[in-house]
Formats: sequence, C-alpha cells, structure tokens
Amino acid sequence: MPDITFVKSALPRSGALVLLLAEGAPLAGLAKAAEEATGGGLSRGLEAAKFKGSKGQSCTLWAPGAGLAKIVAIGLGKADALDAQGAENAGGAALVAVQQEREAVLAADGLTPALAASVAMGARLRSYRFDRYRTTEKEEDKPKLERIALASTEATKTKAAFAPMQAIADGVFLTRDLVSEPPNVLTPTEMAERCKALEKLGVEVDIIGPREMKRLGFGALLGVAQGSAQEPRMVTMKWMGAPKGKKQKPLAFIGKGVTFDTGGISIKPAGGMEDMKWDMAGAGTVIGLMAALAGRKAKADVIGMVGLVENMPSATAQRPGDVVKSYSGQTVEVINTDAEGRLVLADVMWYCQEKYDPRFMVDLATLTGAIIIALGHERAGLFSNDDTLATHVKEAGSAVGEKAWRMPLGDAYDKQIKSDIADMKNVGGRPGGSITAAQFIQRFVNGKPWAHLDIAGTAWSSKDAPTVPKGATAYGVRMLDRMVADHYEC
Amino acid sequence: MTKLTLQRSADALRRHKARGANSALILPLIEGAAPHDPALAAAAKAARFTAKAGEVLAVPGAHGFTILAGIGAGEAISDWEAGGGAGMAAAAGRAHAVLLADGASPEQAAGFAAGALLNAWRFTALRDASKDKDAPPASVTLAVASPATVELAWKRAVAALRGVLLARDLVAEPGNRLNPASFAERLRALRDFGLKVEVLEGKRLTALGMGALCAVGGGAEHGPRLVVLHWPGKLKAAPVAFVGKGVCFDTGGISIKPAAGMEEMRGDMAGAAAAAGAMLTLALRQSPAPAVAVLALAENAIGAASYRPGDILRSYSGKTIEVLDTDAEGRLILADALAYTAARFKPRAMIDLATLTGSIITALGHHRAGVFGNDEALTAALMAAGEGVAEPLWPMPIDDEHREVLKSDIADLRQCALAGSGAWGGRFLPDACHAAAFLREFVGGTTWAHLDIAGVEAREEAAPLGPKGATGFGVRLLDRLVAMRFERDT
Repeated sequence: MPDITFVKSALPRSGALVLLLAEGAPLAGLAKAAEEATGGGLSRGLEAAKFKGSKGQSCTLWAPGAGLAKIVAIGLGKADALDAQGAENAGGAALVAVQQEREAVLAADGLTPALAASVAMGARLRSYRFDRYRTTEKEEDKPKLERIALASTEATKTKAAFAPMQAIADGVFLTRDLVSEPPNVLTPTEMAERCKALEKLGVEVDIIGPREMKRLGFGALLGVAQGSAQEPRMVTMKWMGAPKGKKQKPLAFIGKGVTFDTGGISIKPAGGMEDMKWDMAGAGTVIGLMAALAGRKAKADVIGMVGLVENMPSATAQRPGDVVKSYSGQTVEVINTDAEGRLVLADVMWYCQEKYDPRFMVDLATLTGAIIIALGHERAGLFSNDDTLATHVKEAGSAVGEKAWRMPLGDAYDKQIKSDIADMKNVGGRPGGSITAAQFIQRFVNGKPWAHLDIAGTAWSSKDAPTVPKGATAYGVRMLDRMVADHYEC
Repeated sequence: MTKLTLQRSADALRRHKARGANSALILPLIEGAAPHDPALAAAAKAARFTAKAGEVLAVPGAHGFTILAGIGAGEAISDWEAGGGAGMAAAAGRAHAVLLADGASPEQAAGFAAGALLNAWRFTALRDASKDKDAPPASVTLAVASPATVELAWKRAVAALRGVLLARDLVAEPGNRLNPASFAERLRALRDFGLKVEVLEGKRLTALGMGALCAVGGGAEHGPRLVVLHWPGKLKAAPVAFVGKGVCFDTGGISIKPAAGMEEMRGDMAGAAAAAGAMLTLALRQSPAPAVAVLALAENAIGAASYRPGDILRSYSGKTIEVLDTDAEGRLILADALAYTAARFKPRAMIDLATLTGSIITALGHHRAGVFGNDEALTAALMAAGEGVAEPLWPMPIDDEHREVLKSDIADLRQCALAGSGAWGGRFLPDACHAAAFLREFVGGTTWAHLDIAGVEAREEAAPLGPKGATGFGVRLLDRLVAMRFERDT
C-alpha cells in the first residue's frame, strides 16, 4: 500500500498527475500549469474525452506532453457542493487510476486543507489489499504504486488534518485484515493475540480464557464454544483517553466474534459456508475501532469487548434442546445452535455492564440472514432502546457513508422467544428474524441505553465501492469513531 | 354483522338482568382501578386482575355474568377497542352482551363497541355455525348515558367496521368462489352505497395495453379484471387513490409454489379487499374527500396459456418487463394498475396495498406491515394513521442497490432479482425492497406509498380485534389517513 506524502503544489516533471476538477470551473493552479506546460494539450484532451467534471467522471490523457506519462482528470461535480464524502470518493478514484504507476502527484491544490485531507483519506482507504496468501501472483498484476504526493497549497495544514484520518484508516485496515483472514489462521486464540498489538497505542488489553469464563459462569458463551477444539477468549480493550477531571462513565462497544460458524449441530447448508469466516466481523470492527480511537488519541474513555468462539459440530457440541445458564442468571433453551452469536453477546454484554457500568453499549454482530432479506447490503439494521443514541449512530454513519436503518422492537416480537421450559429460547422463528434476535439481546441489557447493529449484510462486499475495495468493508469502524468524535469527547 | 343497539344504560341494565345467564355485562376498567361494586372489586383483587388493555376477567355472580374488560389508562380509543374486543371474546357462548360505557366520551364508547364487533366477526357463509358453542353473542347493546350524543361517533365507527368486515369476508372466501369475475361482481354491488363501479376486462384491457395484468391473469379460466371504484366526495380536488393487489388465488404459475401452505394463497387479494373496504367506509360516512380505488384482479393459474419465466411483457406504462419468476406476479399487475391510476386520475396521493413478499415477513414478522414510498410526509401520515387504529407500519428503504439488481439485458427492467443471486449461497435476497423499487418505476412523479401487507392480512391466533384468520388490515388505516389528510382542500 502506497505512502502518502504532502507536498507544495508544483508540477511533476515525469510520471502521473491526477487533477481533481470541478464542474464548470476554469483550469487553475496545477491544472493551469499543466495546461500551459502541455501547450493547451490538457484542455484539448478533456474536450475530446467529453470531460465536464461531473461527479464520478474520469478520463486519462496518455503522454500529454511536458514529460508526463499521463494526466488523469477526476470530476468533483459542482465545487460548492463538494463535501468530505465527495472528496474521499475522488481520492479513491484517483488511487485506482494510478495504481500501475510507481509514483503519482495528486493535485488537491484547489481544495481546503480539510477536503484535501479527505482526498488523501479516500486514496488511502481504497489502496487496501489483502495479499498475504498470494505467492504466485504475476508481477504485472500487482499494484505498483509506492508513493502518492498530495499537492496542496497549505501542505502543512493538510498533513495535520490527515493525521487523525490516518489513525482511523489504520483501524479500518486492522479490521479488514482480521475479517479477511481465513478461519484456520484466525482462531479465537490468534484473534485475541492480535488484540495485543493495540497495547503499543496505549490500549490496555485483558484476555480471559475458558477456565476464567467457567468460574464466572459464562454458560451461554461456553455452550457455543464447547464443540470446538479451539478455546474461546474474551478480550477487553480499554482506552482511557478522557482528560483527568473530565471523567465520565465509559462508552462500551461489544462485538460478536465467531471466528468460524458452521452452524454447529444445526449445520448450515454447504453453499456459501466459506463466508462464515467473517462471522467475527462485529468483533473485528470493535478491535479496529479501538485502534482508531487510540491512534487518534480520542478524548474519551472507551471499553471495547469481544467474545471470541468457534461454532463447530462435534461429539462435544451443544445440542438443540440444551438449556444453558447465562452469566446474567437467565436460562436459555437452545433451539437452534446456529443462532449462536446472541449467546456469545449475552454473556459479554452482561459482564460489561456489571464490571464497567458504561454510559451506553453499542454491539455489532453479523447476527442474522434475516437482516439481509430485510434490507440488503447497503444498510445495517439498527435496533435501539434509546432514540438519542440511535440517532447519534445513524447520523454518524450517514456522515461517513456507513448507512444504517432503524428497525422496530416491541413486546409482540419479544413474545416469540418465550420458552416452555427456560427463561427464553434462542430463536423466534422466521417472521421478524432479526427483530427477535435483537429482542434476545435486549434481555441482556440491564437498563442501559443500548444500540445493536446487525451487520450481516454490510460486513463483506462483493463489489468495489469508491473507498472500499470488495471484500471486508470494516463497516462500523468509521461510523462509531465518528459518533464518539461528534458527541462523546471531552 | 352482529346487531348493535344504542340504549340508555338504565334500560340496558334492566334488560340485561331480565335475560339472566344468556346476557353478559362487559364493564370497562381502568388499569389499576377497582370496580365500584364491592363483589366485583373483591373478585378482581382475588384474581390479581390489573386491567391492562385487552385483559379480561369473567366474574359469574349474583348479578349475572359480568366481564371486567381492561382498557389501560382509559384514554386512547385503541385501548377501549382492545377492551371491548377482549370483553366480547369472553362473552362467547351467550346470546347477548351489554357493553357499559356510560362514563366514556362518545368516541371511546364507540371504540368500545367497535372492538366488540370486530371481535365478533366470523366467516360462516360456508359452514353450519348454528351449533358453535363459542359463537359470539348475536346481539350487542352499547349502554350509554345519552344515546343521542354517541350516535354520530357510532355511525362513523360503523362505517369503518363495515369496511373491515367486507374486506375480511373477501379475504376469507376461497379461490373457487372468489375469482376475478365473481370478485368484480361483488364489487359492482357497492353501487348501492353510492360508489361508481367500472369493470374493465377482456379486450378492453388488451386495447389499453395492460400487458402485465393480462399476462398474469391469462392462464386462468376467469380472465383478469381491472375494477375502478369512484367516490366523488365534495371537495374540488384530485382524488386520493388506493391501488390493490387482487390475486384471487396464487399458485405461483409456472414457477409453482410448494404444496404445503398453498391454501393460504386464497388471501392473496387482501390488498384489493382492503382498498374496496376503505371505499365502502368513505361512502358510508359520506367523506368529503374524492377517492378512487383501482383493483387489479387476476388468478395466477398454471395452465397451457400461462405466462413463462423469460417472457417479456409490455406494461401499460410502455416499459418492458423481463419475467424471471411467475410467482412474483403481484408487482406485475400493480405495475399496470399504478401507471394507469397515475395517468388517468393524477391523484393527490396514491397508496397501494399488496400481500407482496415473503421477505417482508422475514423482515417485520406478523406485527407490522412495511411501508415504502417516495414522499416522507405521506409515509409519516400513514405511520400515524396506522398507530391510531392498531394497524402499525414500519418504514422500509428503497436503496440504489435495490434498483440496480432490476437491470435487464433485454428489457427495460427485470421484475425481481435473479434467483440465487443473494448472499450466503444465494439464499438471502431483500425481495420486499426489490419489489418496491420495481413498483416505483411505474408511479412517475405521483406522491406514492406502498404497503406490503404480507404477514398481517391474516392472524395466526385470535386477538381482541378479531378471531384467527382475515384481519381486514388497511381499511381503518386508509380511512384514518383520509380523515387526517385529505378532507381539506389543500
């Protein structure tokens, strides 16, 4: 992945130049310099390509003169309508256009430092690639880009504006790595180990295993884990960033981390089961979020907790019909062993409340197929017992292009998970499947403001988006980082 | 409909006593309050009866058979309805019931009785119900302090009731009795109430270019119909329009459904039934709002003349549609009906109702219908209307990705997403959102909302406002919407 440097605007003498051009605006700055250096070649080329600068439009002029290998023009749309997301998308498009060059100059000299930094952020986010297991990829197929020089009029300010974004991008990349890793590599133990990398950012990392869980009485989580040869883990990550004298109760983010989900005895159909390596995306997102918050030194006290298990069918696996006792004391009749994520969350969330008494809890989980049948892949399902918190989550998501859609809760749905012999059962049937899953989780919310994001449809993408290459999206990292920044920092 | 008389409470109570055990007295009780009568108060206390809305306690005693009916806080009409309904259910097996509402406002009293009559509906046209032990009372008295002051509110409630019961009767009718021809005949009978009824069929539909409706209905012995109900109202304004899916029986066609549960597909015309019921209500209460209902009636039969997956249909709008699944027929007939309604009536607002997708049941279960649309104000008004009449809705999104999957290689659009193209091995498709995105293509610039009422058109178990079976969902909601929003000039 290329380095990004921040330079004063000057025309490069060779290589690739990317110009970001607003619709209907005259060529200025570096674009004007390029126009002059190419003897009017730039504007003639743009005209020939019918380039107008509309949003998302791009064209490439090969060997335009002035020693340049190519000029790529990227449309920004109307200059006064350009926002951070538009700038990021342009940055993402720029990255794709120059991936096969070694070096490129990205001209953001017409933009404010904040928007120029967003261009850099977009390029950075799009440059992600998970190629750790490719050993025979041909040289010509690999991206060659080593360095992007982002040219802006106020390079120092742009660089300063980019610094916290870089930390967020690092968090996003950590999440994408975790979600992309295959399940034979990323076991609960391994995933917990990787959380330790956050220590060097100043995060306190605490890991517990099955013995401690048993002592505590994590019957729900352990029931899921008992079929696997891999031991479960629960990781607590603490970032205490609030300045002294301004301490409040901590914020809590909790993630479902099923490192592979076969469904257990209620085994899943074979088709598409490989996708279940990313059934730990909720946990992966919490880990990346903690890295982002610590990396940019967020002024807030934040607890991140993840429950890590593997759900396997085996001689020791939990059976449909089993009744388990959760850490909260409530009992659960396990009707379907493939509804395991909620069992893991139940114990971790109750523990979180007992131990840390958080201001609120937000959990993330690739919880149900039903949420995909409800909403598809553009939005996650958002469930909450608190309108303010739900609004904060939703608005922060909209600001960074990670959209959520509020879904209902209610007694009528809760009735669907009544059990004949235990306090509840772990599934409520097909109707309203993601709602009854949320109702289940809500039974482990002890009077706290709480929001639940069902990210089963958004954690992984089958197609490229401007700043998110296909594959692991890290949906939620930027949203929740933004929510903390907008509402919960001192 | 069960017979209801309005009486002064003193008279009603006297008659109740004279009838002895054949009469049930239904007393409304506010949550947490104690009945005035000491014996009843003692009974309520002994039974730990708390009078939540819709909870009842039967108290046989010296004064005859008394039913305490919980009405919650005793304010909301919906709580009075729930109390009246539950009270009526507890009166089953008696010949007569007296609903005592002498302390209530006229609207509350009317709600109390309306709840009872909604509860008492049975579909007995096709079986001998004379020996039913749990038959609801055949006659009901609403006992109030002054019948004259309640009259107006009661008339209004009756109008809505009759609309609901019409819809329920139609939904309950089996496919061999209610086909597009006989359905149209029954709708013609609405002329008696001042509605103008037009029935378009056969060559007229072909000549109009209703290629989608004709294709869906073409495989059946009784061809498709488009029925238009007009209510002139008094306002000089464009009408509000209801569009209903009326698939009298849905085999799925060539893409035939599995046998199990197929009998429920006799109710696949619930959208049209609700629209017709709402029109009857508006006529009965002489609404000033002009309204039209356009009902697309067809039987989706399997036969030599059935349409096929792969067929391309030219719809009324001129747009061509590639058929992938003949069991996604509702959206096809609605496409023609919506485009026709928009073009012919230029309505102030157009609301379609359809038992459209199984996906909406997975999304929202049986407790809410989904509402999609292109106008936030209309959606909000529908939500509010639904909450008021215990027909709750939940807003659902139409996102870019939902439109994207409808792109066809050889027609203007596809009717649904490619089977198996969903996530996790192709199993998860947000078909309700896809269907809404499809319908949106046929509404042009008209203010529009789409209610996917699959899952709420019938109850799985008895509730205060009705027995198991057809609900008439949508009738009262549309009536309330019109009253709230369309009975003024602007």
